[in-house]
Amino acid sequence: MRMNKPRPVLLALLFAAAAFADGVTLPTAERVVLENGTVLILNENHDVPLIGLEAVVRGGAAADPVGKYGLASLLASLLEKGAGERTSAEFAEAAASVGGELSASASLETLTVSADFMSKDAALMVELVSDMLQRPTLDAGEFTKLRDRSINLIKAAKGSDPGNLMPYYANAFLFGEHPYGNPVDGSESSLANVTHGDLLAYYADMVGGDRLIISVSGDFEVAAMRDALAAAFGDSPPATGALPEVAVPAAVAGSRVYLIDKPGATQTYFRIGNVGVSREFARRAELDLANTVFGGRFTSMLVTELRTKSGLSYSASSRLARYAQPGSVFISSFTETSTTTEALDVALGTLGQLRDLGLDEEMIVSARNYVMGQFPPRLETAAQLAGIFAMLEVNGLDASYINAYGDSLSAATPVSIAEVINAVYPSADNLVFIILGDADIIREQVAQYGPVTEISISEPRFHP
Amino acid sequence: MGTPTIRIIIMALFSELRRRNVIKVALLYALASLLILWLVGGSLIWLGAPKWANEFVTLVLAIGFPVALIFAWVYEITPTGLHKSKDVDQTQSFVYKTGQKLNAAMAVLAVLGVLALVGERLLPTFELPKIIEPILLPPVYEVPDTAGVPEEIRAHTLDNGLRIIVWPDHDIPNVVMYNFVRAGARNEYPGITGLSHFFEHMMFNGTRRRKQGEFDETMEAAGGANNAYTSQDLTVYQDWFPRSALETIFDLEADRLHHLSIDPEVVESERGVVYSERRLRIDNDNFGRLYEQMMSTAFIAHPYQVPVIGWPSDIESWSQGDLESYFRTYYAPNNLTMVFTGDVLPDEIFVMAEKYFGPIPDRDPPSSITTVEPQQQGERRLLVAADAPTPLLHVTFHAGSATDPGTLPLNVLLSVLVGGSSSRLHQQLVESEPLALSVGGFQMEGLDPGLVYFYLTLPPGSEVSVVEARLLEELDRVANEGITDAELQKARNIMVADYWRSLSTINGKAAALGRAEVFRGDYQLAFSLPDELQAVTAAEVQQAAVDIFDRNSMTIGVLRSPAEEDEHEDE
Repeated sequence: MRMNKPRPVLLALLFAAAAFADGVTLPTAERVVLENGTVLILNENHDVPLIGLEAVVRGGAAADPVGKYGLASLLASLLEKGAGERTSAEFAEAAASVGGELSASASLETLTVSADFMSKDAALMVELVSDMLQRPTLDAGEFTKLRDRSINLIKAAKGSDPGNLMPYYANAFLFGEHPYGNPVDGSESSLANVTHGDLLAYYADMVGGDRLIISVSGDFEVAAMRDALAAAFGDSPPATGALPEVAVPAAVAGSRVYLIDKPGATQTYFRIGNVGVSREFARRAELDLANTVFGGRFTSMLVTELRTKSGLSYSASSRLARYAQPGSVFISSFTETSTTTEALDVALGTLGQLRDLGLDEEMIVSARNYVMGQFPPRLETAAQLAGIFAMLEVNGLDASYINAYGDSLSAATPVSIAEVINAVYPSADNLVFIILGDADIIREQVAQYGPVTEISISEPRFHP
Repeated sequence: MGTPTIRIIIMALFSELRRRNVIKVALLYALASLLILWLVGGSLIWLGAPKWANEFVTLVLAIGFPVALIFAWVYEITPTGLHKSKDVDQTQSFVYKTGQKLNAAMAVLAVLGVLALVGERLLPTFELPKIIEPILLPPVYEVPDTAGVPEEIRAHTLDNGLRIIVWPDHDIPNVVMYNFVRAGARNEYPGITGLSHFFEHMMFNGTRRRKQGEFDETMEAAGGANNAYTSQDLTVYQDWFPRSALETIFDLEADRLHHLSIDPEVVESERGVVYSERRLRIDNDNFGRLYEQMMSTAFIAHPYQVPVIGWPSDIESWSQGDLESYFRTYYAPNNLTMVFTGDVLPDEIFVMAEKYFGPIPDRDPPSSITTVEPQQQGERRLLVAADAPTPLLHVTFHAGSATDPGTLPLNVLLSVLVGGSSSRLHQQLVESEPLALSVGGFQMEGLDPGLVYFYLTLPPGSEVSVVEARLLEELDRVANEGITDAELQKARNIMVADYWRSLSTINGKAAALGRAEVFRGDYQLAFSLPDELQAVTAAEVQQAAVDIFDRNSMTIGVLRSPAEEDEHEDE
C-alpha cells in the first residue's frame, strides 16, 4: 500500500470533502412528507439491478447521557438483533438469503439504517427496515451479549492497531463532557454503565416517525416505492422526548498535552488541534480549498513535510469535523518513538507556514481542480446517492449546497482563503496535543508542549 | 522520375483529372466523409448503436471513395443530363460550371464543419469525448466473443507486448486506470524481500524529466488522484481522474515507465517511510504480526512465505543495484496489463497508448517461478507472545490457485461458513455460544496455489484450545454432512449481489476486468460468475471441504500474552 485511503467516516465529514465538478449536478429526486412527518426522498435510476436505502433518525449519540456513552450505538446494533416476527438469527438470514446488505449505526447527530438489495427484493428490504425501526425486539439477552462484546472489541483495539482509538481520546480531551467529547461507540466503563432499561427509554424518547427520513435510490418505479414506504412508515408515531440541545463548545485557550501510555509501542500516534467550525460556516469553499492544500491529499503540505521530505511518517492529514455546533480541527500522523518530537515540531512548523503564507494562486487552482475532479465518483452508486440525499435533508440543505459549490470554489481568492485560515486553524499558543506511545521514553520530551495529563491505555475510559 | 515522355503523359493525365473535376470530387468526398464520421461517431454513442455501426459507416465510405472517383472520371454533367465524358462534345463541355458547384459544396461543408466544432464548444451538454486524431480506418481491435460480456469492451496488445483493455462508461465524466505489473513478493528471495513494495513507492519519486513529487503535483493539479498496492503476486497502480486529465495521465504514466530515476538520496528517505508503514501494519498491529508468522510457517519453500512489506533487515539493506535490476526485469511493457474504464472511447485510448507507450522497448520476459510448495506432512503450530488483552487464533489449510477448478466451490463454502452475520461460524461461535468476538475467512486465489485462511478474535481470558476445538468441529461437520440447498442458494445470492455491487462503479469495473485478465488469462471471465455459480452443486462444495480441511495441511497460530496463559495454568 502506498497510502491509507480515507476511511468511510462520520456523516459530518462528508461536508469536509463535499464538492462537485462544474456541470455535474445532483440528479432530481421526489420528496414527499407523510402526515406523521416522515420524509421520503426517491431517486430512480436503472444502471444496475440494485436499490440503496438510507433511513436516518435525527438525534444520535449527542443524546447519550454523560457517563453512558455508546448508548445510541448499542441501540443501533441491537436493531439488527431481531425485529417483527423474526429472531436475531432469522433476521440476519432473511437479508442474507437474498444477498441483501443491512446495517445500522449511530453518529453524533443521527441513527442510521442502511440497506442495499437487489431490486427484485425491494418489498423484503422495506419490510426488514420497517421492522427494525418500528418493531425491534430489543431483547435483554441480546443486549447483554452485544454490550459485553462491544467492551471486549475496545480491549482488542487497545492491544492491536491503537491508532483507531485516537479519535476517541482526542475528542474526549478536547471537548470534555460536552456531547462532542462522546466516544460514539462508548468506552469500556461507559458501556458497562448502560442498562437494558436505558436502551428501552432511549428508543421510546428518541425514535419516531417525525424524526425519520427515508432516502432511496436505484432500480425501482417511484410511484410503487413511494406507496410501499408510505404504507410501511406512515403510521410510525412521533418520538416522545426532546431532541438534544447542544451548546457551543468552548475552544481551548493555551496549550495542553494528553499522553496515553502504551508500554512497548514502537511508534507514537499524535493529533494536534482545537475547536473548529460548525456546518453553518459560510466560507465552506475557502476552508475546503485550504484543508485540501494543508492536509487533504497526497501532495498536501503535511504529507510533503512529514513523509516526502523527511521520511518521518507513512502518512499525515488534517481534518475538520463539522456539526450543528463547531467540531474539531485536527492534524494527525504517527512516527517512530525516537522521532516523536521531531515529527511534532515538523507538524507545528507546517501549521505555522499555513497561517503565515496562506495559499497562492497556483495552489488554489490545483486544489480546486482536485476537489472538483474527485467528486463525481462519490455519486456513482445508488447507495451513495441515497446517502447524499439523506445528508442534505437531515441538515436542512437543498441541492444548491452541491450544485452551487463549483461556483463558490471558483470565487475563492488568496485573500478570502487567508482570512478563513486565520479564523479556523488554531495559532501555535492555543493547541491540544493528544499523544499515544511509550510514555517512559517520551514523557519528558512532550512536556515542552504544555502541561501533561497522563492516562494508561489500560484504563477503561477515554476521558482524562 | 521517368523519361520526359512519361512525364508529359503524367502531366496530361493530371490536367485531365483536374478538368473532369476528379480531384475536387476526391477532396469533397474526403471532407464530407470526415464530417459524416464525426457526426455519426457522436450520435451512435447517444443512440446506443451496436459497436460495429461506426466501423460499418467507415467501411461504406471507404468503398464509396474509388467508386466516386471512377464515376467522376467516366461521367460528366451536361445541360442535357449525365453522359459518359468521352461522348461529350468538348466544345459543349460544362465541367467548369460543375467545378464551381463543387467548390461551393466544399465551402458549405467547411462552414458546416466549423459551425459544428464551434457548436460543440458552446453546448457543454453535448460534450463528446474528443478523439485526438482522426482515424478513418481504425485497426481491428479484439471484440468480446462471449455471450453476457458487454460488447463495448475492447482489448488490444501493442507491438511491444503492452496489453490494454478498455470499458467505456459515460455515466460520470471520470476515468479509472489500473496498471497491473506482474511482480510481487512471490518474485523475491532472501536479501530483497519487500523490494516489490518498496519499488511501488519509488515509482512516485521522480524521473529523468520530473523531480521527486512532481508526478503527484501534476496529477492532483489536473484533478486526478492515485494510489498503488503490492500483493504476493502483483504490483498494481491506480489513477482516478476527470476525463479532462486523460492525456496528462498518459504522459505521467509513460514517463515513469520510460525514464524512471532512482535517486540514492530519495531511496534512503523512502526506507524510513516504508519502515513506518511496517510499524503501522505489522509491528503495532496484532493481526499483522500473526499473519506474517502464519505465512512464513505455512509455506516452507514457495515464496508466498515472504512478507509483502519485507523483513526489517532487508528494508535496511537492499541496494541501488537491486532496484535497478528489478526495474529492468519487471517494468517492461510486455509484463504489464492496463485497464481503462469510464468516460473514454477505446480508439482514443489505443491511439494514445501507441503514442505514449509504443516507444518503450519490450524486454525478455522475467524467469518464471518454478518452486512448488511441497505437500505439508502434518499439522504445524506457532505462538506469538505479545502483550494482547484479546488473544487471536488463526488457522490455515493449503488450497488451489485462482484457476483451480476447486476455487469457486471453496468460495461458496467460505460464504456458508463466514459470509456475514448469518453464516455458520458467526452464528455458532460469535452469537450462540459465544466463544469469539469475531470470525472471518478468505482464500488467496493467486497465481500459485495458496491458502484458505480463518481468523478469530477471542474475548480476554479465553481458553484458546476450546475455541480451536469448536472451530475444527464445525469444519469437520461441513465436510461430513455437506451444506443444505438453502445455504447453497443463499451463497449464490450473496455472491451475485456482490458481483453487481462491484460492477456499479468504474473503479470496480477496472478491478474486475484486470483481475480476470491477470489471474485467469481472460478479462471476459469477469462476467462468467453468475453462470458458474449456477453450475456449482452442493456435492462439489462438500467435496471442497473434504479435500481442503485436511489436518495434515493445517497450520494453527495463536497470539496472546504469556501472562494470560500462566493464569490459566494456575487455575
